Amino acid sequence: MGIIIGIFEEGMIYAILALGVLITYRILDFPDLTVDSSFPLGAAVSAILTVNGMNPLLTLPIAALAGAVSGLVTGLIHVKCHVRDLLSGIITMTGLYSINLRIAGRANLPFFNMETLFDNGFTTSFPTFLQPYSKMIVVLIVLLLVKLLLDLFMKTKAGFLLRAVGDNQTVVTTLAKDSGLIKIEGLVIANALVALAGAVMAQKNRVFDISMGTGAIVFGLAAVIIGMNLFKNISFIKGTTAAIVGSIIYKACVAAALSMGLVPQDLKLITAVLFLLILVLGGVHKKKVKFRA
Amino acid sequence: MKKQLLSLLVVLVLVLSLTSIAGAEAQKTYTIGIAQFAEHPSLDNCRIGFIEGLAEAGYVEGENVTYVVQNAQTDMGLAQQIAAQMAQECDLVCAIATPMAQAAFNACMDSGKPVIYTAVSDPVGSMLANAEGKSDKAITGSCDLLPVEAQLKMIRAILPEAKKIGILYTTSETNSESQLKLYQETAAAYDFEIVASGISTGADIPLALDTLLPQVDCMTNLTDNTVVSYLAVVLDKTNAASKPVFGSEIEQVKNGCLASEGVEYLSLGKETGALAAQVLEGTFAGDIAFVSSEGGDMCYNSEVAAQLNITIPEAEAARGVDVTKE
Amino acid sequence: MLELRDVSKVYSPGSVNENCLFRHFSLSIPDSQFVSVVGSNGSGKTSMLNMLCGSIPVDEGQILMGSQDITKIKDFKRYRNIGRVYQNPAMGTCGSMTILENMSMADNKGKSFGITPGVNKRRIDEYRELLQKLGLGLEDKLHTPVGALSGGQRQAMALLMSTMTSIEFLILDEHTAALDPKTAELIMKLTDRLVREKHLTTLMVTHNLRYALEYGDRIIMLHEGHIVLDKAGEEKANLALDEILALFNQISIECGN
Repeated sequence: MGIIIGIFEEGMIYAILALGVLITYRILDFPDLTVDSSFPLGAAVSAILTVNGMNPLLTLPIAALAGAVSGLVTGLIHVKCHVRDLLSGIITMTGLYSINLRIAGRANLPFFNMETLFDNGFTTSFPTFLQPYSKMIVVLIVLLLVKLLLDLFMKTKAGFLLRAVGDNQTVVTTLAKDSGLIKIEGLVIANALVALAGAVMAQKNRVFDISMGTGAIVFGLAAVIIGMNLFKNISFIKGTTAAIVGSIIYKACVAAALSMGLVPQDLKLITAVLFLLILVLGGVHKKKVKFRA
Repeated sequence: MKKQLLSLLVVLVLVLSLTSIAGAEAQKTYTIGIAQFAEHPSLDNCRIGFIEGLAEAGYVEGENVTYVVQNAQTDMGLAQQIAAQMAQECDLVCAIATPMAQAAFNACMDSGKPVIYTAVSDPVGSMLANAEGKSDKAITGSCDLLPVEAQLKMIRAILPEAKKIGILYTTSETNSESQLKLYQETAAAYDFEIVASGISTGADIPLALDTLLPQVDCMTNLTDNTVVSYLAVVLDKTNAASKPVFGSEIEQVKNGCLASEGVEYLSLGKETGALAAQVLEGTFAGDIAFVSSEGGDMCYNSEVAAQLNITIPEAEAARGVDVTKE
Repeated sequence: MLELRDVSKVYSPGSVNENCLFRHFSLSIPDSQFVSVVGSNGSGKTSMLNMLCGSIPVDEGQILMGSQDITKIKDFKRYRNIGRVYQNPAMGTCGSMTILENMSMADNKGKSFGITPGVNKRRIDEYRELLQKLGLGLEDKLHTPVGALSGGQRQAMALLMSTMTSIEFLILDEHTAALDPKTAELIMKLTDRLVREKHLTTLMVTHNLRYALEYGDRIIMLHEGHIVLDKAGEEKANLALDEILALFNQISIECGN
């Protein structure tokens, strides 16, 4: 039972990251490598603020804001300096590494003896039978809130434009809107979500570590693609659900591989094979055809 | 059809994971989890020593102990997941290296399972222990802080003229930071000056050395994972410049460093195993202060010394081990 | 009024392939005029539209919209007064979004796209009415993604969307070329109706000489960046299809087609 709870805790935190990747990869068609650094950025901000005595809950919006700024930087580099999408992400990712070290002050910042998002007056007030699930419940609340807001946002006028710019940039231009600005907006929202995931992760692990972002983008992409393949032919609204489910499945596969006593060296290979199986069984991922003016 | 196959696969994987856990819980002997952060000779020695140490105390694998060994391969996410899993299925978790120790500590905080860590350079700074070396949670372990004083003393004995020691460290490795700090604080007592150069990845090493080497008389290694992994690159440069490198562990001396007064991880592991035995017998882990490695395992490489035209003073040679003669 | 004044455009300048398409080209279209543009491949028809809309910059000369010089204005800003329909039916709509969502976006052109509901529920009946006029049954498929529609249906939507708000200019870039003859006919009739209803200043590039003659107030034939035929009003009405065809063949042969 504990393992299942663990899978959901981890899976749902990474699902917040997957929602961010959903926006960049799926909606904007932008392979955004900023994620590998904006995830630890959120963690660093949340950790240092918590260590300095701020309410852990309050650190979350601030971490998201920091992530938003990192998305803004990538967006500006891409749109205003005309740097290719992949490279703009790499530039921000590289620079953020140093900034993350500066923010946290060190490469590893633990806060074991502090109140965290998961260990405070609210969670200890849960009845005993709910205690084992308290972390899961907190993550679930954050995740559902994020998903709900994102789903709602996608139904607003601004959300329509965001979806339109990834689908067909020409339509946005003929609507007399600057498609570059909208791309930036998408990157801002996506990286805010990724940093929020990082902050929640730091709160759960009670530690910030500079290397915690390594492979974050790979995870996010895998979660989104697995989810999308499981629920094919769906409109975006279900896309958020798909990304969340994809994230949990990915974590479950890793846990299963570990439990089956696989040699750790082979773990990545097993993950890759599972990933491939899901892609193949789910049908080859058809990339939407893009038209340019 | 495909969808069914797919869901079948997912269900199968989940069921398999559940049954194997149930299997582990049914054991009557102790299940001890060993969670190692990275694949690395020093850390491997910790693990081997830990198992030996427990065996010496009467906890023998296959008789009354079952080991679950996992390696996170330096993946932080995986480390968390391994820790969470072990916190559930094991009676005691041995965590090797700082990030793994933090993950295990955090995961076991709720379940109350004891955590025994090793290869942690700064348990207090990593918040695994309080200032007295103890904790109010079920955690204790061993610290592999380098015997910096002994190392500096040895360098002084071998190189009486040397003034500046170069140190390469990885900015992302928290162990290296604390070790470096210790070197900087202690160096003056032996009339040395430390020149440090930070790198972010192994690829930065050649350039960093090109700048660092002309400024220093010799180099000394921390237990920095990145630098140690790229030791061949380091030695290539230092040999070309005819400057000796002092290691932080015997393996490095075997691989071409001049000498080291390093941590002996095998015995550190054994001590850690003894701690675990104490905990299994009922002592609350938090009440046991963490132990530190006892330095003094001096070793040197006479071939390297000959190449560099350096004579190892007799006093040093007498107390040390020549790794080429093993 | 829409005007290209003394415009020059060189492609791949400085390379072996340097190709001067327009040299001191001028064209003026009075308000509410419906102009059909014909010409062989490479005659500069689409380039002319792209220069007007700002998709490609001009090297020299001015572009005027009304009395305003828009030469330096970015493309997306120009579209405030321009509607455009492309040859590819997929270009004018968002395939992953529903008919209703597409219509709502088009309806909001020129206003701010903020954090307010994307669909204005009070306008749905009006969208239905507009769609009904197309006679394609789209009014019953409001929640269908546009990507699931046929090319003709998408093009009809694109046309409707581009003219939903109060624009002054309509740019049609071979917008019937990718459709079957029957649908093309339908789209042309719809175009004519919308242009007349809304008094739009329209520039229509077409390969169909019959449409060029049948619809619009003025016909222009382009050849290698020059206007070789420009007839309006009575003169245009008296033009026979054969005459145009003859001229068209003549320039095509010169090109070696």
